[in-house]
Amino acid sequence: MSDEPFLERGLSRDELLKRAAVGGAAILSSGALAGTADAALRASAPKRGGTFRIGVSGGSAKDFIDGQNIVTRPDQARIVTGWETLLVFDSQFKLKFDGLAEEISAKTADVWTIRVKPGIEFHNGKTLSADDIIYSLRRLIDPRLKLFGGAALSSIDPKRIRKIDKRTVRLFLKRKDVTILDALGQYVAGIVPVGYSPGAIGQAKPNIGTGPYKLKSFTPGQQSVHVRNPNYWRSGQPYFDQVVIIDFPDDTARVNALLSGQVDAITDVPPAQVAVVNGHSGLKVLESPSAAWTPIIMRVDAAPFNDVRVRQAMRLIANRPQMVAQALSGHGKIGNDLYAPFDEAYARDLPQRHQDIDKAKSLLKAAGQSNLTVDLQSTNGALGMNEGAQVFAQQAKAAGVTINVKILDSGAFYGDQYLKWPFSTDFWGSRNYLSQVAAGSLPTSPYNESHWPDSADAKFLALYRQALATVSKTKRTQILHDMQTMEYNNGGYLVWGFSTLLDGYSSKVQGVKQGDKGVLPFNAFGHGYRTIWFG
Amino acid sequence: MTAVAASPFRVLRPRGIWGFIVRRVLLGILTLFLVSLIIFVATQALPSDPARAFLGRNATPESLAALREQLHLNDSASSQYVTWLKGILTGDLGHSLTGTQQPVSDVIGKRVENSAFLMLLAGLISVPLSIALGAVAARRRDGPFDHATSIVTLALAALPEFVVGIALVVFFATNVFHWLPAVSLIPPDEHPWDNMEALILPTTALVLAVCPYIARIMRASMVEVLESDYVEMARLKGLPEGKVLWRHAVPNGIAPAIQVIALNLAYLAGGIVVVEFVFAYPGIGGGFVEAVANRDFPTVQALALIIAAVYVFLNVAADVATILVSPRLRTSIS
Repeated sequence: MSDEPFLERGLSRDELLKRAAVGGAAILSSGALAGTADAALRASAPKRGGTFRIGVSGGSAKDFIDGQNIVTRPDQARIVTGWETLLVFDSQFKLKFDGLAEEISAKTADVWTIRVKPGIEFHNGKTLSADDIIYSLRRLIDPRLKLFGGAALSSIDPKRIRKIDKRTVRLFLKRKDVTILDALGQYVAGIVPVGYSPGAIGQAKPNIGTGPYKLKSFTPGQQSVHVRNPNYWRSGQPYFDQVVIIDFPDDTARVNALLSGQVDAITDVPPAQVAVVNGHSGLKVLESPSAAWTPIIMRVDAAPFNDVRVRQAMRLIANRPQMVAQALSGHGKIGNDLYAPFDEAYARDLPQRHQDIDKAKSLLKAAGQSNLTVDLQSTNGALGMNEGAQVFAQQAKAAGVTINVKILDSGAFYGDQYLKWPFSTDFWGSRNYLSQVAAGSLPTSPYNESHWPDSADAKFLALYRQALATVSKTKRTQILHDMQTMEYNNGGYLVWGFSTLLDGYSSKVQGVKQGDKGVLPFNAFGHGYRTIWFG
Repeated sequence: MTAVAASPFRVLRPRGIWGFIVRRVLLGILTLFLVSLIIFVATQALPSDPARAFLGRNATPESLAALREQLHLNDSASSQYVTWLKGILTGDLGHSLTGTQQPVSDVIGKRVENSAFLMLLAGLISVPLSIALGAVAARRRDGPFDHATSIVTLALAALPEFVVGIALVVFFATNVFHWLPAVSLIPPDEHPWDNMEALILPTTALVLAVCPYIARIMRASMVEVLESDYVEMARLKGLPEGKVLWRHAVPNGIAPAIQVIALNLAYLAGGIVVVEFVFAYPGIGGGFVEAVANRDFPTVQALALIIAAVYVFLNVAADVATILVSPRLRTSIS
């Protein structure tokens, strides 16, 4: 097939924009891609049937199911059963047209036309149409709902979305924005039917989407059951008859459930148990490199960190390989105080920081903060938060800095004081650079823990706006490099490492791919439990 | 016969065993009232504002005001207490502060059923077992059986329950044998008695946690009883040893053990959080911890009250049972 080279490279967002810049050219349609992907799967003869049981970490009575929102791991596991996005990120974290959209084209970077594939049905039989797209986009950015995926879509103007025909909509953005495709590819940007409102869930208004499984029952804090969608648009998929998602807040219980065969897969195997799971016959561990990071954050506008020398000193205190070895038991990669390592524009050339206690001490002395004592607030939000804080506190003693690690329970940490702690930890998932900046590094970001940029500094914001509007990949990469250099030198994040996603599964589950770059665990839960089967 | 008999207040102070029971029950109800007051004051004194805790990151001044109105947080503390109490007495435990704000009775109903069944099962097995163990150990005092039970019960009492639980899982479910499930996955729409296999290990862990205390105190009490005059009299009369032990000694030796049994059963009701975590058992211990972490005050209050009610009930029952097995005390209470 003449399209093969494109498929292998994965048509990236930038090539897409390049084609758009050439003049309203239609972007590569998804037909060829989908066909080849399906053919590859059929070659290994998947079998139908069975109930797939997965134990996911965390969860509580606060669990919910919303096609456009998540907070915890079980919410992530559930959203992919029933909801899908216009585009998807593939195994190498590149955008692909393997979702609901047939074609997305752009005359200029502020006018985008989306056409969805024909014949896709929601769980109640209603056909996916332009009205549903319009409703979904408006709901995602509704400021009253504060949905997770909304921040990255801030350039969408809800009043200027036009329906062109039954399957096509045109977006007139508030400003030029090249990150719109990344935002639409986030797994939380699910497409929902008109009138969707999980608050009104009941018999008359079931919780529906277009995904491979329909919701059968849901008990928050315990489990949910999903049954196969017989009218799913990808023919042949999914393979399981039923999927049961079970909450396991306790690590030991979750691992034990896998070891005794009561579940077929689990997420978040504690690093210390990887050897145990691997040692059991019939069980395997899936390691997926991810760009998930658990930074230590210093507020750039709070003493003593408002002095940039103190921030630089802290970053030099960190012995990153030791932190990865101890906090993540070696299952991760060291970081360089920059995020978004999967982004093509990641500033690889900036020299890797190493521990330099002497320089740290001299910086602290120059800032008048020798023998600094400071509190570091943390909680058990994700693997690496508490552990990283404790290892760093030990390392800081060598530089004369006393760090009092205060471990709070998550209700207290994420309560009134969240985003106000001068010195704290937090966790983030995998994202591309500009999406992450929108979520955490702008004054308008929902989760800007470091209060970056300094209020006196308008340059970062100006660069950001410029980057959004720059279609040329080389020019944009240069701008992103400048932004990253600013953060590298003066930022409030100490990014010491990136975790590897660790999942355990029974060897009777087929279709699992090792080494995929992961945002969500377990190959994005088997891509919504549709690319895995019982062998 | 006396002035008391002729007094018009006779009906208010019934005599005999029934009178005793009635008085104890009334005292129990009074205790529960006091406990409910304490629970209410304690949750009021907590630093978190329930409205803000519920809305979390989504708190805006308007939504906070609306939610406070809905939760009656603007009323005075005493009127809030009265509203709450009226609700409890009519069976309305309030609405959970999490997610979809279901009634608390729906949220905890299944958990209460699961915990009650587990407690019943563990109690039915451990109580007769430990009484028998204690009695036989006392009978064969200083013999090999006595020494063996003494060491084993001491070791079990010293080990934390979750260690026992994990050891059972390692031995029977994951590492040595694969006979039993490691985790008690009771689906939310099923009853615990339909999943008896899932209950074997948690019940065993609890029985092993509770038996040592009852067995040891039973043994100590029985040692004393077996030295007493009436036991010697029964032996001299020529009664078989079994009858001496079970018909004469045990009913008298059991009085101290009753209190310990009540305490242990009450512990089974509300204190087995860690065992629930080890087995992922959906009971009220885990539910309670979760409700506190979520700042779900209505659920916290409801569960605290339920656990307190179980304690009070078991203590009343223990007092009554002690009286019933001690004829000497029966006469003194009238």
